Amino acid sequence: MSLNTAMVEKYRNNFLQEVAGNVEEGDWVKMCMQCGVCAGSCPLGNAWEHTPQKLFMMIRANKRDEVLTSDSMWMCTSCYNCIVRCPRELPITHIMHGLATYAKKLGLAPQSNPTQWFSETFWNNMMKKGRVNELKLGLSLYFKDGFVSGIKESIAHQKLGMNMMKAKRMAPMEIMGGHGVKDLSGLQKMIKKAQDIEAERLEANSK
Amino acid sequence: MTEVVATNQTILVVGAGISGITAAVEAAETGKNVVLVEKRAYMGGRISQLYKYFPKLCFPSCGLEINQRRLSAQGGITVLTMAEVSGVTGAEGDYTATVKISPRYVNENCTACGACADAVEAEFDNDHNYGMDKHKGAYLPYNMAKPERFVIDPRIIGTEDAEKAKAACKYDAIDLDMQEETVEFKAGAIIWATGWTPYDANKIQPYGYDRYDNVITSVEFERMMDKFGPTGGKILRPGDGKEAKDIAFIQCAGSRDRNHLKHCSRICCMASLKQSTYITEQYGAEDEDAKGTIYYIDIRSIDRFEDFYRKVQNDPKISFVKSKVANIIVDKENNPVVKGVDTEGYHRYETKHDLVVLAVGMEPNVTKESFPVEIAINEHGFIEADEANGGIFAAGCASDALDVNRAVQSATAAALRAVQVVNKVAGAEG
Amino acid sequence: MANYDKKLGAYICSGCGIGDRLDVSQLETTAKRDGKAANCKTHDFLCSKAGVEMIQKDIDDGEVNHVIIGGCSRRSKIEAFRFPEAAVTRANLREGCIWIRPDNDEAQETTQEMADDLIRMACAESKYMNIPTASGEQELNKTLLVVGGGITGMTTALESAKAGYNVVLVEKAAELGGWMAQLHKRTPNKMPYAAPQDTGIDATIAAVNDHANITVHLNTTVSKTEGAPGRFKVELAVESGSASTVDVGAIVQASGFNMFDPANVPAMNHDKSADIVTNMELEALANAAGDGPIKRPSDGKQVSSVIFIQNVGQNSEEEGHLPYHSGIGDMVSIKQAMYFKHLNGDCDTTILFDNLRTPGAAGEDFYRAGQDAMVTFRKGIASEVVAGGDLEVKFKDMILDEEFTESADLVVLDVGMVPNSGPDPYAADNLPKDEDGNPIEEENAVSVESILNLDYRQGTDLPHLRHGFTDSHFICFPYETRRTGIYSAGPVRRPMDIHQTMEDAAGAAMKAIQALENAGKGRAAHPRSGDLSYPLFRKEGCTQCKRCTVECPFGAINEDEKGFPVFNESRCRRCGTCMGACPVRVISFDNYSVDTVGQQIKNVDIPDEFDEKPRILVLACENDAYPALDMAGQNGIEYSSFARIIPVRCLGSVNTIWLTDALNSGYDGIVLMGCSKGDEYQCHFVKGSEMAHYRMGKIADTLQTLSLEEERVATYEVAITDIQRAPKLINDMAETIEQIGMSPFKF
Repeated sequence: MSLNTAMVEKYRNNFLQEVAGNVEEGDWVKMCMQCGVCAGSCPLGNAWEHTPQKLFMMIRANKRDEVLTSDSMWMCTSCYNCIVRCPRELPITHIMHGLATYAKKLGLAPQSNPTQWFSETFWNNMMKKGRVNELKLGLSLYFKDGFVSGIKESIAHQKLGMNMMKAKRMAPMEIMGGHGVKDLSGLQKMIKKAQDIEAERLEANSK
Repeated sequence: MTEVVATNQTILVVGAGISGITAAVEAAETGKNVVLVEKRAYMGGRISQLYKYFPKLCFPSCGLEINQRRLSAQGGITVLTMAEVSGVTGAEGDYTATVKISPRYVNENCTACGACADAVEAEFDNDHNYGMDKHKGAYLPYNMAKPERFVIDPRIIGTEDAEKAKAACKYDAIDLDMQEETVEFKAGAIIWATGWTPYDANKIQPYGYDRYDNVITSVEFERMMDKFGPTGGKILRPGDGKEAKDIAFIQCAGSRDRNHLKHCSRICCMASLKQSTYITEQYGAEDEDAKGTIYYIDIRSIDRFEDFYRKVQNDPKISFVKSKVANIIVDKENNPVVKGVDTEGYHRYETKHDLVVLAVGMEPNVTKESFPVEIAINEHGFIEADEANGGIFAAGCASDALDVNRAVQSATAAALRAVQVVNKVAGAEG
Repeated sequence: MANYDKKLGAYICSGCGIGDRLDVSQLETTAKRDGKAANCKTHDFLCSKAGVEMIQKDIDDGEVNHVIIGGCSRRSKIEAFRFPEAAVTRANLREGCIWIRPDNDEAQETTQEMADDLIRMACAESKYMNIPTASGEQELNKTLLVVGGGITGMTTALESAKAGYNVVLVEKAAELGGWMAQLHKRTPNKMPYAAPQDTGIDATIAAVNDHANITVHLNTTVSKTEGAPGRFKVELAVESGSASTVDVGAIVQASGFNMFDPANVPAMNHDKSADIVTNMELEALANAAGDGPIKRPSDGKQVSSVIFIQNVGQNSEEEGHLPYHSGIGDMVSIKQAMYFKHLNGDCDTTILFDNLRTPGAAGEDFYRAGQDAMVTFRKGIASEVVAGGDLEVKFKDMILDEEFTESADLVVLDVGMVPNSGPDPYAADNLPKDEDGNPIEEENAVSVESILNLDYRQGTDLPHLRHGFTDSHFICFPYETRRTGIYSAGPVRRPMDIHQTMEDAAGAAMKAIQALENAGKGRAAHPRSGDLSYPLFRKEGCTQCKRCTVECPFGAINEDEKGFPVFNESRCRRCGTCMGACPVRVISFDNYSVDTVGQQIKNVDIPDEFDEKPRILVLACENDAYPALDMAGQNGIEYSSFARIIPVRCLGSVNTIWLTDALNSGYDGIVLMGCSKGDEYQCHFVKGSEMAHYRMGKIADTLQTLSLEEERVATYEVAITDIQRAPKLINDMAETIEQIGMSPFKF
């Protein structure tokens, strides 16, 4: 049985409980009073299909699939406007990331969502050397939609790149593989362990 | 020197707003001796600054007139204005209160003829009108001010103006050498009716009260409607003096908000519903530009007030948006533009209005730290009923965020509890 | 009535510019010559210590017992001019004369005439009034009757007893406690306002039963109430048939409420399933559960999901629904949802609300506590509950803007409170009328049992305000009912929760105690608190027309077996509406009578028709219009010097004879200023202004008889804030007179 199915069984259609129990800061969702100040305060609000406050309402209404497959929470840029203004002090930014992560773990996150793709790219990039290789990460972003558009993007940003090199904010040799952290395998082990604990926790929660 | 005749059968009432006046009058009309202490130079408190009451849309000054008459008709009430209780010692049935009285520089000779005000030049922000206009250095705070006696602003003391005022008075009523004094007297029970203060709208950063002229508070809006108020009864934009016709009311401005006041202030919904009727009163039902929008989280027009809510809902000029406004910006004409999301069905809005009225919350006037006596206070700053409070009882908004009707209810109940104490003292003393 | 030689003393103040603007020695002459004041003095600062001592000395020396002050308004310097042993009248030379007239030579003559008239009027008033003394009818009875043994009544009883009074507590049922005794827990009244609390009702019942000053009558109703504050005689009927009588000084009605019948909202299908319960029925389920889980009534299954539907039949214009809101239902449902969280483990609890009504500090705290306990709040409007094995609730989620159907083991309906207030004495006034003006009785009108069985001319119970509640409609004076000495408390007055109800009970106890104390001294109750006058009645002139007994706004006046009025002075509020109503003018007060006003009217000097100096009589309500005119003066707003203003206790006290006399003696116009009437009335005597408007509607006949134009009499509703409008209304009349000409009745 997949984790997703297990969770569905376990919470027998009480998605609010499921979120409270499994999503980072998800316990706060119950405290929302639907004032909508988060929705209005989000600088990228226009891009959201469902606003945070609406997502919280959907959670209460057991719209599990709609919430977890939504790309809305992937739109959050962590500006913290909503947290600052929320009259109930809900850590909305964190809940958005928590929901996104949870959806990803259950395999429900929207595949085509660029934010999700970028997050994954960022993660993989970082895990290779234990630190982010900015040059590679930048290039992979430029070439995301194919070779031709990648070249175009690179040319468009040529000046920016040159300036960054001059200011020693970018090292061209990093393309060769780049430097890593001292104890890479140690770090990888550590992360693996954390991931295992998290997976175990979810596994246990789903029982 | 002020003399106060009081015994431990006296009831001390702190604050002469509607709650304090009510408690004092109800006790006095039952034959009790009362000392009523008021911080301001006049009685009436916040209600003297209101234009109308909900839900009847009647005038607070009407009831105040009767209350002030009842108060002066009773021999049993001593009123001390410009006075604050600075200390309380003792216990139930036997308190000693220390009261600090600031100099008014005008004695009881004053006939309120107004000659002193004509003589002085200096002007100061008028607190009665929340600083929206000025009063003279010698002034009667407002038409119905009781005691009906002028006040010399301490800031003109030592200036030529003070001398001019003194010279203009034919009744030897101005005493520029008056000093702060402290009186001490007995009381068997104390009623704490210190009321509320509007939440400081400057602290609500996204609404820009501190930087936009055309964003005002609900208490300021009340003053605008008064024909003897700062705008002569017209709804004018402070920014340019133009008539404001399209008015937004923002609920929970500072209330139900952990960044500000955690509690619900109870009165603001009804207050905004009431204020929305001022628009039609001012411009008539025919004026199509005149309209109101109420931005709210929940409309708490409980019990009998629902009638009033329905009446406003049925008014085609007034619309409701279920939303806590996210922020306000201004356009080139200095019009406030209100931004947010209508949560009923998710609609974004960015709406221009002529004027924004912030329905500011109620904050208790006396903070926990500044109480002159040990007393049970909840985390919101309101006094809780508690055995440990002894012979000290809260009335009105010192006890909770209350509307006038409930404040009077609370004050009448507090009067009884004080009467219980002094009756017990009387019984013990035979 | 007092019997003594009246010694009038007129004291004229020349301060505040009066001496500069007016010929004060002439005023003194007027007072002596026309006003017949034997003792006349002028002082340049009358309200000073020296001035007041001067008056006091004359009183003490026995020179003067009727004091006429010519100076500032009666609203000013009240403390200085308080001479309790004398009758005091005021001639308003400052606010009512020099301040409303321009300070120039042209205006001087008419201003002086105005002042002279004001002196004449004050002297005439003084001459025809008496110093009121209590009648001796009054008694001090320190026992209260409390009707209703729920939390309101018990609190009233305990609070009154604690103040040293005796209480007779009457309860219809076999036990004390009322609805509160049926609750599992109550909403919290102590910080941190986070969890349901024990009701503590048993301790309250025990305290009531144990208190030496409280007598409890169970299974008992009030079968008859007669008398007045200070001397009520109340007949108590016990279920078994026996009866007894108690004497009490004042009464508090705490008859509580009934629950709204959800059958009036058929879509909720309350009768179709045992698992659709009202909020009060849920309390019983919670009590039955003990410490175990709450079970559903149909099959005893442990409830694992419950939906609360808020506002069932409340705040609705549909027939059979309640047009108001109880206001407390959301707090109650949060409390009940917490029952499930405490007793039923992880039970799904959903509250479908519209506007979550959890006001104040305690309310918002409790809302958060409910959310914290995992209660699901949805802004949703339920349209139907489908009964069946599993219940289904159909509703629209207002946030998601979508219709939902959710199933639940149990559905709880938040139904509202319906006041148990007895029949409204004036119900017929609110019914639609047929062509002859007779009320059309509603079909299937249910007869309501009386609570107080008042033996009053105007009905058996407290008048209702709206929706059956006995509230006063005064924001500033919420306890004032229209039956003196009888106060209502708790949810019969307006919907309220336990905390508020207990405050209300204490407040009502305060008012009742005050009423009986004042009744004992012959002092009037609000708003003329302390007035010792009372209606005096010349029986031999009475035609038994019953207008006074019908029109008294407080139902104070009964009729004897021959149809003569019986005034019951401690029921009287001294508004004078009876005096205004009386066509043969046999009702008066010592300090306010047909003569005290009539003689003021007659003593105004009426110039010759060709002098072009009209006279306008203004009768202004002393609570609102008169202060407005005073404040006009304060602000230098001018009005016609032809106006002669007389404050009246209430426009309802205006007897049409004043108008007829005025018109006959050559007044050119009359302006009447009363308070706002109708549903949102502001009249402090409730119906006085309305009565006056009604009577004035018929003044046209009088004018016709005299061949005078209708425009000569105008009646207005004036508020205290009409500081600019009130003078304008006077000026309008002056203009009207200019157009239609002077009255031909000047002799």
